[in-house]
Parts: sequence; C-alpha cells; structure tokens
Amino acid sequence: MHNRSLPPLLLLGIAAFTSLAGLPSAQSAEPSPIRKSLARISNTAQEPNYKQPWLPGFTGSSSGTGWVVSKDRILTNAHVVSNARFLTLEKENDPKKYIAEVEHVAHDCDLAVLKVQDPTFFTGTLPLELGSIPDIETEVSVYGYPIGGERLSVTRGVVSRIDFRPYAHSGIDSHLTIQIDAAINPGNSGGPVLQKGKVVGVAFQGFSGDVAQNVGYMIPTPVIRRFLEDIKDGTYDRYMDLSLSMFNTLNPAMRRGLGLPNDDRGVFVSSVASAGVCNGHVKPGDVILAIDSLPVASDGTVELEGERVQMAEVAERKFKGDSIRLILWRNRAQTEVTVPLSHAWPFAMQSNQFDVLPAYVLYGGLLFQPLSRNLLSTVQFQNPRLSYLFEAFVPRELYKDHPEVIVLSAILADPINTYLSEFKDGVLEAVDGTPVRTLADVAAAFAKSADFHVLKFIGNGRPLVLERSVVDAARERIRTRYGVRQEQLLETAAR
Amino acid sequence: MRPSLLLPALCLASLSLSAALASAAALERATAASASAAAKSTTSSAQAIAAATDDLRSSQKNIVRVTVTSQSYDFSRPWSKRAPAARRAIGAVLPGGRVLVTAECVANANYIELENPDGNRKEPATIECVDYEANLALLKPDSAAFLDGQPGIGFEGTRIGDSLAVVQLEANGQVQSSSGKVTTAEVTRYPIDDSSFLVCRLSVPLQMRDSMLSLPVLKDGKLAGLMLRYDSQSSLLDFIPAIVIQHFLKDAKSTPYKGFPRMGCSFSPTRDPQLRRYLALNGNNGGVLISQILRGGPAEKAGLLKGDVLLEIEGNPIDSDGNYKDADYGRVSLSHLVSTKHFEGQKAKVKIWREGKSLDLEVPVAKRKPEQYLSEPYVIDRAPQYFVLGGLVLQELSRQYLKEFGADWSRKGPLELVQLDRIQSELPDDGTKRLVVLTRVLPSDVTVGYEDLRNLLVTAINGMPLTSLADVPKAMAKATDGLHRIELKGDPSLIFLDAKAAEASGPALQRAYGLPSLSRLE
Repeated sequence: MHNRSLPPLLLLGIAAFTSLAGLPSAQSAEPSPIRKSLARISNTAQEPNYKQPWLPGFTGSSSGTGWVVSKDRILTNAHVVSNARFLTLEKENDPKKYIAEVEHVAHDCDLAVLKVQDPTFFTGTLPLELGSIPDIETEVSVYGYPIGGERLSVTRGVVSRIDFRPYAHSGIDSHLTIQIDAAINPGNSGGPVLQKGKVVGVAFQGFSGDVAQNVGYMIPTPVIRRFLEDIKDGTYDRYMDLSLSMFNTLNPAMRRGLGLPNDDRGVFVSSVASAGVCNGHVKPGDVILAIDSLPVASDGTVELEGERVQMAEVAERKFKGDSIRLILWRNRAQTEVTVPLSHAWPFAMQSNQFDVLPAYVLYGGLLFQPLSRNLLSTVQFQNPRLSYLFEAFVPRELYKDHPEVIVLSAILADPINTYLSEFKDGVLEAVDGTPVRTLADVAAAFAKSADFHVLKFIGNGRPLVLERSVVDAARERIRTRYGVRQEQLLETAAR
Repeated sequence: MRPSLLLPALCLASLSLSAALASAAALERATAASASAAAKSTTSSAQAIAAATDDLRSSQKNIVRVTVTSQSYDFSRPWSKRAPAARRAIGAVLPGGRVLVTAECVANANYIELENPDGNRKEPATIECVDYEANLALLKPDSAAFLDGQPGIGFEGTRIGDSLAVVQLEANGQVQSSSGKVTTAEVTRYPIDDSSFLVCRLSVPLQMRDSMLSLPVLKDGKLAGLMLRYDSQSSLLDFIPAIVIQHFLKDAKSTPYKGFPRMGCSFSPTRDPQLRRYLALNGNNGGVLISQILRGGPAEKAGLLKGDVLLEIEGNPIDSDGNYKDADYGRVSLSHLVSTKHFEGQKAKVKIWREGKSLDLEVPVAKRKPEQYLSEPYVIDRAPQYFVLGGLVLQELSRQYLKEFGADWSRKGPLELVQLDRIQSELPDDGTKRLVVLTRVLPSDVTVGYEDLRNLLVTAINGMPLTSLADVPKAMAKATDGLHRIELKGDPSLIFLDAKAAEASGPALQRAYGLPSLSRLE
C-alpha cells in the first residue's frame, strides 16, 4: 500500500546558495577515478502555476549531482531535474557547460536519466558500476556538489539502517531506502554513494538539522536497477501496485472467525480499490496466504532473500506485464489467483506532479480546477470538506462518482460575481442538472446555450446562478483585466 | 457568508462550554492588560459612577456573587472527570427568590454557592432551569431566606444609543458600575455551536474583577441583560438582551422546559441580481431562498420546499439578506423573529414565493433538541456513555467528543468522524439515532493485533446494525461460535473478538486501567 503520511523530509537539491569563494581545493594531487564520472547539474526550472494556470509559473534555479551510469547516460534524482526548462552539466576540470535533456524520469522512485547533446562530454568519463545492498555498519562514501563550495565534496559514514520508507518527491510512494550517517546536504542529491569502488546507492533525502542529526537517505541499487530495467523498452511504466488495504490476523479470535488454522499466516484484505489491478481477482474479506509462493505472515511480511520485508516488496520488484500469484483463503478454502500487473497506482491526483500544465476552466471569472496534491499545496483552501475529499478519494472510492473532484478554486472579482464569494472552495456537484464527473463535463455544460447556468455545489443548498448574457458581456472585460490568455485547458498536459 | 441559519449549520468556529474555563483564564489575562487602560479612564468613569448612583442603591440589593465549582467529563476517557475548577460571576436577583446567570457559568457544576454583596453570608444553590443554547440559567438558593431583603429586579428593554451600566462588586462589597452606550444589535453566535440569538453590543471600558463570566447590565436600575463576552482590547461588551431572557423565564415556568423554537430550514440571501432574475423575483425586492429543509422539522411539516423564497413572516417583509425591520432594534435577522418572538407550540405565519405565485403557510415552530441530532452538538451535565468490550472502547459520536482534539478539531480531528459530524443532516435516514465509534483500544490479551485501532465507525456487531450505543449489549447476545463479529467502516472492515475471553477480561481491565465501571449506558 501507499504510505500517505510523511515525515518532514528534505530533498537535497540546492535551491539557492551563496558561494564561499577562495576555499583551497583539497583533492588536487591524485585525481580519483570517481571524479571522472561525476557531473554537477544546474537546472533552470519553472513550476506549474496553479493560481493563474494561464500564466507560466515561477522560474528558479537549483543544482544537484549526477553520474555516468552507462557510456552515454547520466543518472540523477528526478527532483534534481523536475520542471526543467534548461539543464546544464559541468565536469571537474572542464570549463565547458554541456546542455542536457531528460531522457526518462521516474517520479515515483525519484530517479532520472539524462542525455547530453554534445557527445564529447563522455570523452574520458568512466561509467560507475552498480553494487549490491551494503551491510549494516559498513563504511560508504558520498560524492557530490553540496552547499559550502563549488568543487567536488566527499563525505563518509556507515550504513545505519535498511528500511521501507516514504520517498518525499512524489508524496505518496514508499520503497526500500538505506539510511547512512554521512553528512548529506542540499546539492548532494543524485550523487553516488560508493563502497569498494561500486555504487551502492544514490543520495536523495534527509532531515533538516532541527529534526534529526546525521540522518541521510540513499536509494539502494535494487530500486536503481529496477528503474534501468523498466526503461529498457523506451518507456517508464512506473511501479506496480496491488492497491489493496490489508490488516493483520494476529488476534486468535480473528483467526478463528476467518476459519484460519493457528499457523501465523495470512493477512486480511479490508478493501480492494476498484481501479486497481486486483479488482476482479481479490475480494474484500479474502485472506492472502502466499504471494508468488512466499508465505505471508500474519503481520503482512514475507521473507525475501533472508530479510523480513513487507509483502508489497514482492510487487515492487515486478514490471508492467508481469503477474503475481496469490494464494487466497476465501470461504474457508484455499484458492489461487493470478493477477496480471497491467498498471500502476491509478490515482495521479494524490501525488505531486511535475512538468505539467494544470487543467482549468474559467467562466464568468470563476476558476474551476480538479483537486490534486499540487493544487492543495499551492492554494490555501478554507473548506475542510476538500481535505476529506482528498484523503478519502481512494479509501472511500470517491473516484467512482468523481473521477475528478472539481473545485471552484478562485474568483476573479468582477461585478458579475460579486455576490458569489461564499461559493469559493466549493466542490461542484452538477451544472444545469447534469452531474459533474470531470472538468470536461464543466466545459461541456458551459458550451451549451442556456439563459441561465445553474451550478450545484456539494453540501450547499443555494444554487450558483450565472446568466448567460451577463457572463458573455463580461467575458472580454475579465480577460483583459486579469490578463487571461486562454480560458480553459481541459487535460492536465505534460509539457 | 452572510446567511444566519435557522437550521443548525454546524458552523466550525466554536467556543464550547467546556472551553469556558479557558476563556475565563483569557479574561484574567485581559484584566491585567486592561488595568492601565482602566486607570487612564478613571476620570471619565468617575462621572459615570456619579450618574449611576441611583442605580447602585437598587442594584446592590439585587446582585449576588456566584461561585461555581465545575467538573467536566473527559470525553477521551469517558469514565473519568477532569480536575474541578472554579468560576465566578455576579448574578442578578429576580423577584420570587431566584438568581439569573449565564449557563456557561454553571455548565457541569458540582457545587454552586451564592454570597451576598457584603460577603457575610453564603448559601448553596441549585439549578432550577438552564438553557445552554440561550446561555441562561436560573438558580434557586437552598434557603429562600438567603435573599430576604433583596426583592429582585425588573426588566427593561434596550434600544441602540441607550446608556447602560455594567455592575461588578469590589472585594469590600462596594458596587462598581461602568457605563457605556449600546452600539449595535444583531443576531450572532452564542457559546454553543449552532445557536444564534440577538446580541446587543455595549461600548464600555471595563476593569474586569475576578475574571467574571457573567455580569448584569442595567438600565435605570432595571435589568437590561447579562454579559455574554467582553473584549478588553476594543472595550466592547456583548450582552444577552432582556427580550431573550424574558423568553427563557417564561418557558422556565412550565415543565418540561420548551426553549427557543426554530423553523427547521436554512436560507440564503437573494441579493445577486442574476439569482433574482432566475427566480423570477423581479417584481419584488426582498425575500430569501430556502436552501435546506431539516428532515422531520417544522418547515417540512408546513410544506415548505427547498427553492421556495420566504417573503414575509407574520406580516413582516423579509429583505434579500434575511432581515426584517424590528420595532426596537431596526434591521435584525428573521431568526430573532422566529426564535425569540415565538414560543414552541405556536405557529408562524409565512408568505412564500413558489413558481411565480405567493403562498401563505403556517409553520409550527419547534425547538430542535440536542437529542435529535445524529451527533449531539453538546453534552453538558451528562456523563458520556461508553461501553468497554474486552478492551475496545465504544462511544457515541458527538461534537463534544470531537472537541477533545483541541480548538482546531475540525482539522486535527479524525477526518472521517469530523466529516460525519459535518454532513449529518445530509445523511439518508436509516433509523440510526447515534453513530457508534470504536474510539480506542485498551490493550489486553484479548485485543492482540488491534492496539492501534482508533476512531473507526462501528456499523454492526454480530450482524446487528447499531442504531445507538444502547444496542451493543443486545448485539453482544448474538455472538456465534463464541465470537463477536464487529464490522467497521474503514480499515480494517472486520474484526473478531473472543466472546468469553472478552467478558472474562473485564475485571483485569478495570484493575489495569482504573475503570470504575465497564460501561455507562444511561
């Protein structure tokens, strides 16, 4: 399952820094072979603009680290290159700036590979080799371009812990993570963590100093390898997800009630997301006894390569088109199902989105937008119903009636909407008697001719009435006054 | 948002009675802050005192100190009470040997004591009648002789611009009076969520003594109202006007107490010209749109429909903001006309506009009792119900429970429960009287694996849907194969409990967690 609660993790790209000039270069004597494989990445990024979606968003610059993963590819974090408008690479001891492009990006596991326009970038570079999961307490070195200087920096530490943890970049994903105690700072993002000359991870997130000290996280090689494998066919298909919610069967009465023997096996399926891959294969009330022949313990863990890990890890390692075999306990008998893994977690609105143009409809100065994590994080909403709709979207299957939750997110003040301020932050239920399921429904309703458009909002008995002729007469005025270049964009488009 | 609601709109801003102690503390701080301001205004208040000398003589006869020791229940541990705390007020003596204070003062009272102004006599008292929504309480001293020599005070109506006096008592028994002018009168929020009545506002510099929760407001030696709240920064005092108090007193004469009636519908303004044209209201310039009708409420009984436009009540035209022209207070919300100018059992004559025609209806106005809510808006003077089932703590959802999550409960509280409380009037009627919630688990060997469950809605036990907490014992009798089957809304959707072990765990749970009893269902 997706983990939706997040600790205050920091992503380690540098947003802005003051350079401390004049520091002596420490590593001039013996050029380590590793520095031949490193690049400093500068990203001029432009954020999507949710407040005025017809305008471009805020432009800023950030930097991070990348490294040569194969003869013509640079690997880094997705968050280092997100929303990029212009990317450049710099190598140690090479004054030139090389222009790069994102070849593949995986926001769900915070990884990306870059292409470089000028092939001479790779002259003299050495691809780094991927290692395996390092043992706890063994020493690792972190390479990168963190704050505090211009040149390459190396820090050292030990492997503290290996765990399934949230990845802050997307906001909803959790994968295997390795915690190290080497100093990792903004700018280290995307940089390799090495042990015995091999890459054992990519530094990607940490805590701010007032939350925890000496805690840095890296993406381990199984996640990196999975990403490289996934993009081999030219597209990134994302992580597969069972989209189930499960509960332990530790309680003896629970086991008896479900008719399970006393063997500490099985997790109870509470719900099956109807938009997920298990729908039609697994039912609420089933007990999962085994996944791909691995017995599932009553707390939902399996033993994988000698380690007890969450059952989800089995699905984590699969790809689109693979399948998963489940042994289920249903109606007090064993049954086996094979679940084809056809798609990933289907609810994009719940995760942070990058490189998108936000969808919207503006009508009569009223701005309608689909609810999303991006929208929630930019607009200060006063309606507490919205956070319920966001959180309950999957568990309560709200997507069945509202594949998109359409919010009246802003009102561009004009004489025609001066009495409508109480509707701001409202969730649109119907227009002219037709239920609103998507933003396209809203646009379609406004495209039809009518004397009045009557908008119904969830939980509000008062209709919002727009008189067509009044709206039409105000249209140019609103466009001009607020500099609206385009009145709608129906699909959240990739840029 | 302008519309005041006749129907509980479950507004999220809240000042609960249980928070009264906190506000008392705030007033105490305010007192310190306003001490210097009060010193500056000594000269002007000297004049005020002189002007009010006549009042003082009569008022001294008709006020008492009231000290209340209260103890509220902790809804997150429903078997225990919070630490006792004291509140103080000045009560107004009424003819007939009764004392009037705000209900906030006496909420969850354990012990009430009256003290005469000289401070040489004290007397216990009990609550004769209390209305937490109108924030008024009538106290009766144990011995009627205590009020001998205090004949009681009469009432006087207030108008905007009137000069009124707020009386307090010095430690030595001397009456301290501060006067100011009435600036506004409007229907606005009372301490209980969802209750709004007329409030008059007085601009008066006040040096608060003893963090008083309730003070009498006098006009020419007669009672014009009771202080509802005071803001020391703006020197504005809100008070409950005599008209509301008199309604309460009239109702208090009969048992059972009936209280302030409502129409059972909510309305919204019709100022928007586009809306007026859509509703074809062009010929008229007032009226409010009925936007919600409470199921089973008076408006529904009278045949009012959502979408009707309310034009008149008792011949008073309603303007497009929902106000009528009151003879005493000017433009005031129609809810004052409905609630304070009517009594339960009366009918309010209304004129509505429906489909281009006007229509006269009679609405049998009635109070909506807290018990009629799915999630009670307040639970005061009553112990919360609970049922401990083998360590699973079951309680009924109420606003009072949600408020245990703090002042910001509507954001910090459990999302699903807050949402259910918010949309309770939108839920279909399936016979459910109360929502039963598994609020927490007291871990024991019976609840292994369930330790982290909290704030989940319980829909059925042993196949029996729950309509209130009282159904739980009945449902438990239906255990099959020695197991209780507990269905929940959410994750997990189902758990089982060993029936015998759950019952046997009772004494151990009581010992371990210090529970005086495993359930309270009355």
